[in-house]
Amino acid sequence: MAILTWVLISLAIWHFTVFFPDHFLGGINGAFLASAVGGVLGGFLLSGLEFPTRHDTTVATVALGIPGTLIALALLYFVGKRREEAQQA
Amino acid sequence: MTDRRRNILVLLFVAVLVAASGVVIATKPTKLGLDLQGGVQLIYQVSPTKGESLTEDSIQRTIDVMQDRINQYGVGEAEIQRSGQDQIDVSLPSIDNPEEARQRVGTTAQLVFYDWEPNVVGPNGETNAADPNITGGASAGERTNPVAISQFDAVMRGSKLKPITNNGPGQMPPVAGTQYYLVDTKAKKVLTNGPQESLESITGDKRLAKYFDAAGKPIPPAKIVEVPEGYRVIQAADSNNQAGEVIPAGDKWFLIRDRPSLRGNDIKDPAQSFSSGGLRKEPSVVFSFTSEGKKRWQDTTKAIAKRGADNCLFQQGEPRAQRIQRCSNHFAIVLDQQLISSPLIDFERNPDGISGSTGSEISGSFTLKSAQALADLLKSGSLPLKLTIISQQQVSASLGQEALDQGLLAGIIGFGVVAIFLVAFYRVLGVIAVLGLGVYTVFFMAIVKLIPIVLTLPGIAGLILTIAVAADANVVIFERVKDELQNGRSVPRAIKDGYRKGLTAIIDGNVITFLVAFILFLVATAGVKGFAFNLGIGVIVSMFTAVLMTRAILGLLSRSPIITHPAALGARKRNPIWHRFDFVGASRWFFAASGVILALGAIAIGGKGLNFGIDFESGTQIKANAKAGTTVEDVRNALKTVGEGDAKIQQVKLSGASDKSGRVTFQISTEALSTAKEQEVGRSLAVVGVSQADLNSNTVGPTFGQTVARMAIIAILASFALIAFVIWFRFGLQFTVPILIAVIHDLLITAGIYAATGAEVTASTVAALLTIIGYSLYDTIIVFDRIRENLKRLPSAAISQIVNRSMSEVLGRSLVTSFSTGLPVLALLLFGGDTLKDFALAMLIGTISGAYSSVFIASPVLTAAMERAPKFRARRKRLMEAHGGHLPAYPEGNTAKEVEPDGPRKSGRRVTSPEGPDQAVSKQEFQEMVSELGIETSAASTVTAPREPSAAKPAKKPEPQPDPDAPVSRADDLSPEEVESRYEKPSGGKKKSSRRHGRPR
Repeated sequence: MAILTWVLISLAIWHFTVFFPDHFLGGINGAFLASAVGGVLGGFLLSGLEFPTRHDTTVATVALGIPGTLIALALLYFVGKRREEAQQA
Repeated sequence: MTDRRRNILVLLFVAVLVAASGVVIATKPTKLGLDLQGGVQLIYQVSPTKGESLTEDSIQRTIDVMQDRINQYGVGEAEIQRSGQDQIDVSLPSIDNPEEARQRVGTTAQLVFYDWEPNVVGPNGETNAADPNITGGASAGERTNPVAISQFDAVMRGSKLKPITNNGPGQMPPVAGTQYYLVDTKAKKVLTNGPQESLESITGDKRLAKYFDAAGKPIPPAKIVEVPEGYRVIQAADSNNQAGEVIPAGDKWFLIRDRPSLRGNDIKDPAQSFSSGGLRKEPSVVFSFTSEGKKRWQDTTKAIAKRGADNCLFQQGEPRAQRIQRCSNHFAIVLDQQLISSPLIDFERNPDGISGSTGSEISGSFTLKSAQALADLLKSGSLPLKLTIISQQQVSASLGQEALDQGLLAGIIGFGVVAIFLVAFYRVLGVIAVLGLGVYTVFFMAIVKLIPIVLTLPGIAGLILTIAVAADANVVIFERVKDELQNGRSVPRAIKDGYRKGLTAIIDGNVITFLVAFILFLVATAGVKGFAFNLGIGVIVSMFTAVLMTRAILGLLSRSPIITHPAALGARKRNPIWHRFDFVGASRWFFAASGVILALGAIAIGGKGLNFGIDFESGTQIKANAKAGTTVEDVRNALKTVGEGDAKIQQVKLSGASDKSGRVTFQISTEALSTAKEQEVGRSLAVVGVSQADLNSNTVGPTFGQTVARMAIIAILASFALIAFVIWFRFGLQFTVPILIAVIHDLLITAGIYAATGAEVTASTVAALLTIIGYSLYDTIIVFDRIRENLKRLPSAAISQIVNRSMSEVLGRSLVTSFSTGLPVLALLLFGGDTLKDFALAMLIGTISGAYSSVFIASPVLTAAMERAPKFRARRKRLMEAHGGHLPAYPEGNTAKEVEPDGPRKSGRRVTSPEGPDQAVSKQEFQEMVSELGIETSAASTVTAPREPSAAKPAKKPEPQPDPDAPVSRADDLSPEEVESRYEKPSGGKKKSSRRHGRPR
């Protein structure tokens, strides 16, 4: 259940990437993948390298998916932007 | 063959099929499932036994034995089928006693005969036939035997012994292997339900999970103990009181050496009879022996008689009967884990044993019914494999009938509202579509009766949904027809093009729905299988009626006055409210809205969790109709008497007859109950006016719950993979990713709403989720189909402009298909009863979400992804420069120039190039021109080559918008007759320019 909440929150965040210029590596599809992977991975790390069980999943568990998603998206954005600049140069 | 002739043939064929279907419907009975006619469904898990591994053959033999038992049970229309790798599904209609059904069908019925005295194991593991302190003397295997001990003590006694795998030369081998028990050493209780044949059976049992720590070790005082091979723990025999009532043995057990004298396969022709001895004729079971059995019987009884005689010290003055009682040894008959009886062998009358030539008799504490049941079990033989019941469902006949009524009502209302909608929206086209739906329903019902398909409640849901599928197909085509009409085509041409252009989207959508149904059918449990089967069959049949048949009718009517006016076809003036709306520009706000909904869904799942039903969680759900005025407290008090006062009790509102009767319906949820306990609960509810026959119960064991969960995951993943492949194959990778993102969006939103509303997630919900995938894709395919078409049509436009234009063109269609799907789904939700509500809620959310995501998620994602392509990036840059740094939402000026989207011409030649110097154009070229202009010709008509080829010139200027309210002018698309007259005798009427390329703006 925790994984489901992390996927949900990470994809919720992904929906807001459209407000940023499209410099994400792999574009909107890349951002989609990165946010989902980042959310689950971040949640897993912040949960102490375990997936909380269904009964241990709370609203706080949902929040654990946010940092990973943001980091993954930020990384993807800066890598994508740098690559674009390199190509233009 | 001309179109007309083909259409007539199609309709004749349909008429013949309808007549044949009518005969089938009138003459063949409908096979109703248990949920519609009442009965008991038992799902067993099979596991290997000693000497019998789990193979195809052993499972089939088990099914054969069960089938034989069902036949002897006298249940008509019973069904037994294998489900998955290791499950057997038994449906017994018209049965209202699950415990009896379970005993009659699923009992292993392993019959073993033991020489009693030498095999009873004493306190220190010793055996001594001559010691009554060990054997219990005259009372032998009865519950009153002083040496009978508790099950816990018997198990613990056995656990201290060493295994004996060989009973010696000439002796039969032990019937049982090592037996595992989970015991509570403090409460001195056995926690497992009988012996388990493997440790995994205990550690894997969810009900016992609380006795194990995270590492899988039993938490003291729980302990796993083993009774080694060579020993068995068996329960004492039940007895009868003076009134003939059965007194259960209770916690009275024996530990015996597993040295069988005869086994079940040594006897034949068992039959229920009445005992030959005694004053009262008691029910008994008589049988004869096989030739091998005869010898063993004689030898064993001779040994028992001899031992009786040898150990008997004669006492002066003791009556014979008393002496025989005191000295005779016994013969024990054990069925599975319990003694049936332990008759004595009269050593004085039978010093040489009892001949097996006249057979023998088992008499014990039988009632007439139990004696008959045992005889039947022995007749069919023991089951080769062990059966563990993992799910059982009981549906009362009255509630089954009510469910049927509700399902049919939902179907009729669903059909009715779709019909009204189609007629109101498409007028004449709608009437034809309704006719198609009617024919579809007739065909479907005939197929249901002919195959025959067992009609279940989920099956009815499948049927209703296929009505929506069929209606959707018509909507897609009719919207295309309206497009063509509004583009100035004649009615016949619009119909022809509408069907041609709409067909690919329909096929794509239906292929995906069919594949989803197929996967569901492969992995689903029985109830959902019915849904999947009907959905699959319905998709195929609906293609025939919604496309082929309606096309034939319209083809014949195309020149009829009733459909020459666009208003008759529902083709109104264009420019809906979203005309020239900047969908792509606004998509970020829709994206944000979706993001917020998903975030709320995540919080709901985190905070409340998903409310999984017993299909996943395991447990027992009992639905009972109590007398008017009964409260939850009354029900709880009744349940307290059987120790189930902690059960979750809800008063539920029923529609239909139950509601009108004034009786109150309660749903009671508990942990998974055994069939006996379930009956006990049912009996306890009698005080609140609940009769056993009116009880609806559903018990799902942990194993079955795990199976359902596994099925759900496999089905969703497999559907996803298959759909991704099909979309990739049909549309390419660029289109596939946005489609999958949209589907994920729909599934997650549905999950979030389920969490927020607390709606129960059942196996049906999973089926509905999969159907959502199909429906969501249908919508997206329609949008993407148009984008793909417009990509070719508008080679100079930016991708956002193409997407905007495409969405503007198909949004109406998308809304109409969603609405036409939503209507029957809503009927299911409102009128379909509890089971169908599970389907309907998920379907309704999915349908709305699917329509939304196809326009506001999939298309913008596609736009963003495609705009990264250098071609579109350059195009966008160029257009922005041309418009002062601003990109118009829709193609304007030169960008709006269209090209024929149907791709390159077959012939590389110029159409206007003549074959000879004396000809303007060749006959073949003229035919091509006629075809290009959308003019239909018949074989009978002759086409005269025109003197001037000017009619074939492409229209350079956009045409004026036709007045949709005016009768359709046939100037664009002339009939063959008109073609002739046009060139032979020029008409003085208004003549529109014919177009080869482009559409009117």
